[in-house]
Amino acid sequence: MGGAVPALNPGPGGSSPAPPPRRWATGPVWLALQVALSGSLLALFLLPLFALFTYAPVGDLVSAAHSREVQAALFLTLLASGLAVLAALLFAVPMGYVLARRRFPGRAVVQALVALPVVVPHLLVGLGLFFLFLPGTPLFRFTQWIGFPVYDTVWGVVLVMVFVSAPYTVLASELSFRAVDDRVLEAARALGAGPATAFLTVTFPLALRGIVAGLLLTWARAVSEIGGLLILAYAVYPGGPYNGPVTSTVSVYIYDLFQFGDLADAAAVSSVFLFIAFGLFVLVRLGERSGWVPWRRGELVP
Amino acid sequence: MTSVWTVAGLEVELERFHLGPVDLRVAPGNAVAVLGPSGAGKTTLLRTLAGFLPMRRGRILRDGVDVADRRPEERSLGYVPQGLGLFPHRTVEGNVGYAMEIADRPDAAARTRELLAQFHLTDLARRYPSRLSGGEQQRVAIARALAADPGLIVWDEPWQGLDVLARQELGLVLHDLRVTERVPMVVVTHDPALAFSVADSFIVLSGGRVRAQCDATTLLKAPADPFAARFVGFENVFDAAALAPRGAPGLRAWLAERAGTEGIAFASPIYPAGPSARWEGTVRSARPGPHGLTVEVVADDLLVTLRVPPPMTSPIPGPGDRVRFDVDPLALQPLGVRGDPVGAR
Repeated sequence: MGGAVPALNPGPGGSSPAPPPRRWATGPVWLALQVALSGSLLALFLLPLFALFTYAPVGDLVSAAHSREVQAALFLTLLASGLAVLAALLFAVPMGYVLARRRFPGRAVVQALVALPVVVPHLLVGLGLFFLFLPGTPLFRFTQWIGFPVYDTVWGVVLVMVFVSAPYTVLASELSFRAVDDRVLEAARALGAGPATAFLTVTFPLALRGIVAGLLLTWARAVSEIGGLLILAYAVYPGGPYNGPVTSTVSVYIYDLFQFGDLADAAAVSSVFLFIAFGLFVLVRLGERSGWVPWRRGELVP
Repeated sequence: MTSVWTVAGLEVELERFHLGPVDLRVAPGNAVAVLGPSGAGKTTLLRTLAGFLPMRRGRILRDGVDVADRRPEERSLGYVPQGLGLFPHRTVEGNVGYAMEIADRPDAAARTRELLAQFHLTDLARRYPSRLSGGEQQRVAIARALAADPGLIVWDEPWQGLDVLARQELGLVLHDLRVTERVPMVVVTHDPALAFSVADSFIVLSGGRVRAQCDATTLLKAPADPFAARFVGFENVFDAAALAPRGAPGLRAWLAERAGTEGIAFASPIYPAGPSARWEGTVRSARPGPHGLTVEVVADDLLVTLRVPPPMTSPIPGPGDRVRFDVDPLALQPLGVRGDPVGAR
């Protein structure tokens, strides 16, 4: 019955329908290799998470989610990582702009320095900050005086998080600011936009997608930090914007549970945390797909 | 609010490039086409006019007021960069309305609608530039530039990347703008047909220097340099270096005697010209085309192009054939200053 459908655009040759466009042929060995390699990596990504989810009974998950202690740790983690993202927005995005759009002596050195926190082992970050703010040093007195003490406070947590995670925002925003076409900017200027207006209406919106991607990486890196926190802010006491009970970030909290051999609770809290992190990620992706977020407008997306 | 723009003694110094001095006058209803090979300084001139490059000396006057020190946004000049520079994150409507939106004009919405209608963009108002054809993008660019009520439109390569129909359509749009709205224009282009359809005067740049500055008729009658001669359609253009004598008297020496400082140009030689014709050469190629047959002949080491218009009554020459042709001395166009171009006679 296939022959009953007339071809929309019969070729000059006759009535036989055109063959489907030929796809790039992949040999079976090559295909099997690709599937096996990617599959192994995917398994490595997924199986530990599966093990985590299935170790503790669902009831433990629910009770973990309701526990005051867990809630305090979650709140502290989200608060501190949120502040770290805010700091990245305030400091790292302008830095990315400067690196992308300004020529100055020593620019290459600055670029190399920005990548430094990514390669420094995080325990050393904690140690470095610990030595920097040793009681008695001028910096210690200064932080006390301005009301941002770093030892075992939320500010210490934020400081460590910014140190290890801000480079991602610097690098991502540098790349996306550099990708903004100068001619589009010049068109805006000629249409009457001053430098500030052109930045706000053209440069920033066009770079926003890359900036957001950088901020997401920053956030992901910040919430998973533990090395630096173990040294600088192991436990966090109420103060600053955090006014809950004495607690620690989720990562340190889970580490503690593990240390004391409370594996079921460690698994349960980890699962709750995973749900939240994954949920936020899915929310952002859905937003991007639905088109209500402002940073993908005008793109050629299906 | 169109204005008279005068550029006097404009010079620009960039790394390893010097432009100028350039003098230029564009009044309402005028359009200047800036011609020249790549690297001639055309874009540099436009970007300097728009205020994106610092000038070394000279003046840019708008209605007699020097605007050379003003920032790009204060020059009220509709600059359309190469590739148009549309805002990819704004819809057609958002692009066209941009200038009025940032100026907080109360009539922004109404004026945007008017411009969209004028350029047949109303149905595309909510599309993003990435979803438009080349011709539609050009119309958005021009509507967007006009929205700012520019005193001058400065457009770098308006016809870039357009198919033949879209080019013709854009030519009409620009011509309309010049004639009915009387917006003065400066356009950079490579395309002679379109340059003639839009512009009423020409500047020929080469290596950063102004080689010619004239109206269309003068450009046709007396192209000043090899580039201009090719631009206006001379098939055979030889610069002075190509005519350096090689001993034996022949076509080369005959042309050198009649050339200007820059060389010489002539249209198709007389062909077929019979056995008494003065020059002889070997056919290198013969290609049919819309205006007849184009035959390339090597004569005295010069590549001469003959055009054989239809109907083709004589036999069609093929590669390797010997052919005879004549060049009418009255059809020769010396380029540059008339005189002794190559120092030997």
